[in-house]
Amino acid sequence: MQHNQTVARRLRGCKGYLYLAPSLIILLVFTVYPLIKAFAMSFCEDYSIIDGSFKGINLQNYQDLFADEVFLKALSNTTIYVVFVVPLSILLSLVLAVLIHNSLRGKALFQTLYFLPYVTSVIAIGIVWSWIFNSNYGLLNYFLSLFGIPAIPWLNDPHYALAALIIFSIWKSLAFNILIFLSGLASISQEIYQAARIDSTPRLRVFFKITVPQLRPIIVYAVLMGLINAFKVYNEVFSLFQSKAGPANSAITVVYYIYDKFYNSGDYGVASAAAVVLFVIILVLTMVQKSIAKEKEEA
Amino acid sequence: MKITIEHLTKQYGDFKAVDDLNLEIGDGELVGLLGPSGCGKSTTLFMLSGLTEPSAGRILFGDNDVTTIPPEDREIGLVFQNYALYPHMTVLENIMFPLINRKVPKQEARDRAEKMAAVVHLEGLLNRKPKALSGGQQQRVAIARALVKRPKVLLLDEPLSNLDAKLRVETREEIRRIQQEVQITTIFVTHDQEEAMSISDRIAVMDRGVLQQYEKPQEMYLNPVNEFVANFLGMPQINMFEGEITADGVWLNGHLLRSRQEMAAGQNLAPGKYRMGIRPENFELTADGPQQTASHVRMTGRDLLVFFKLDETEMRLLAHSDRQLERGSKFSARVRPGQLTIFGADGKTLAKV
Repeated sequence: MQHNQTVARRLRGCKGYLYLAPSLIILLVFTVYPLIKAFAMSFCEDYSIIDGSFKGINLQNYQDLFADEVFLKALSNTTIYVVFVVPLSILLSLVLAVLIHNSLRGKALFQTLYFLPYVTSVIAIGIVWSWIFNSNYGLLNYFLSLFGIPAIPWLNDPHYALAALIIFSIWKSLAFNILIFLSGLASISQEIYQAARIDSTPRLRVFFKITVPQLRPIIVYAVLMGLINAFKVYNEVFSLFQSKAGPANSAITVVYYIYDKFYNSGDYGVASAAAVVLFVIILVLTMVQKSIAKEKEEA
Repeated sequence: MKITIEHLTKQYGDFKAVDDLNLEIGDGELVGLLGPSGCGKSTTLFMLSGLTEPSAGRILFGDNDVTTIPPEDREIGLVFQNYALYPHMTVLENIMFPLINRKVPKQEARDRAEKMAAVVHLEGLLNRKPKALSGGQQQRVAIARALVKRPKVLLLDEPLSNLDAKLRVETREEIRRIQQEVQITTIFVTHDQEEAMSISDRIAVMDRGVLQQYEKPQEMYLNPVNEFVANFLGMPQINMFEGEITADGVWLNGHLLRSRQEMAAGQNLAPGKYRMGIRPENFELTADGPQQTASHVRMTGRDLLVFFKLDETEMRLLAHSDRQLERGSKFSARVRPGQLTIFGADGKTLAKV
């Protein structure tokens, strides 16, 4: 009797795992295995993806990587990109979200408008934006010309390519951020705002002393997601510059570099090493960011 | 600050939340707005605060018409039902907030906030966040925040509804004490008649947007102007029934409640059916007379609450708790002189006989 019960319980446990199995297998095959494999490949000198052969296990790939000017360029481009895109996007979407939240009229229209970029394919948006950036016929240069600014070769001049990418990405990331900020704003009790009115709080103080602190957890989340996504920027580059990394690699990013090394140059080891470097950067930043957020929470 | 409310009306579509309200509140008075939910008491309070705009009528603070003045310029303190404390600020920051908004220098703001915290007995809790406080403590932070800017009027929206029974009694005494200490005209909203009666100077009872009676608590309890007020005040509730007045006196189901000779008032009432009310404490037990049977008895401590039936009509009677009464006991009782209230067909009080 006792024995039978134990068996039954064990069988029930197995059944649970059976339900989980499909997703677990997919996760293992497509996420966990490649992760470990890439990590291993990064230490294999002259790794061949065809027969899995390599010369030796060492740090050669990492030495090659940091000696490669293109990688250093990708790293600095990505850093500049992150430094501009994340704060600007969050600030802009926060202000827009508050404006949308406070305006009673046209709320539905705005909700459709700001969500469009999120549901549209990046490639399609990229093509539209490459026209907006067009130096001769583009909308952006037309508006600038109204202020007497001469035409800027956004996509053809290495000096402007990264700026164009940043503008495009800020615009594109607004949708998601505005959405989560709006849901955050909706959850703040109206009574607190009424109390603030009774307390004669000036408008800007309401924003900085009540709205922002109340949205803090959501802002922390948005910054974290923004950082991770910004470091992984690739689609935007690919679509804006028609599958190139801008004129003379001027807008190359780390993920674009990884892709290029892997598929075009066949430097699998170096590509894996770059991926590991990116992984470590994101991991460290996430941890730092989380500990700062936690410290503030406790203060 | 004296407050005058003239023909105040708030209409939402076809629904009149507040209907032609007229009220005068004296300087330093504590007035309770009392009524069931949906009677318009909170709407009235929010119109006083300026957060709700009246559809018609005027509000005067002293001699100033404040009807169109926004809340931030009305010099009022408002305590919300759920306190609406700023959750990310400490107690001290919460109390200082209205002062900083008014550009009071930081040191002075701090001193004033600390002093106000002492008035409401919050010393030692100044660096806590609201969520680390009990309901009663949060309540007092809200009061301190409302009072620290030295408003002319203090408004409280159901200030005690989120507290448990014991704390409620304590806190209402506390509100009374603070109100007397700072001598501020105060209006508070409540649906609890006992709460309203125990601390108000005057009570305004409202029903369906209409003011029913505005009176001192004792006077209102003893002489309600209509059936609604009589019903709303008092726990246990007044006994309400339909009786009959004849040439002989007042009758209920064949029981003579009051003979014509004994009637102190209401001699002019025409014979016929009337709504009537007797408060449970206005029965007195007698040695003789027709016998009643207690259908059940509830001991409440100070009193015995005795249920009995006059034929079809169930009555509640309060007797002193030392009386030997239990389920099935026989007893005789009569209505104390002048304590049988007769209402007209429109619900208005006609006479107490």
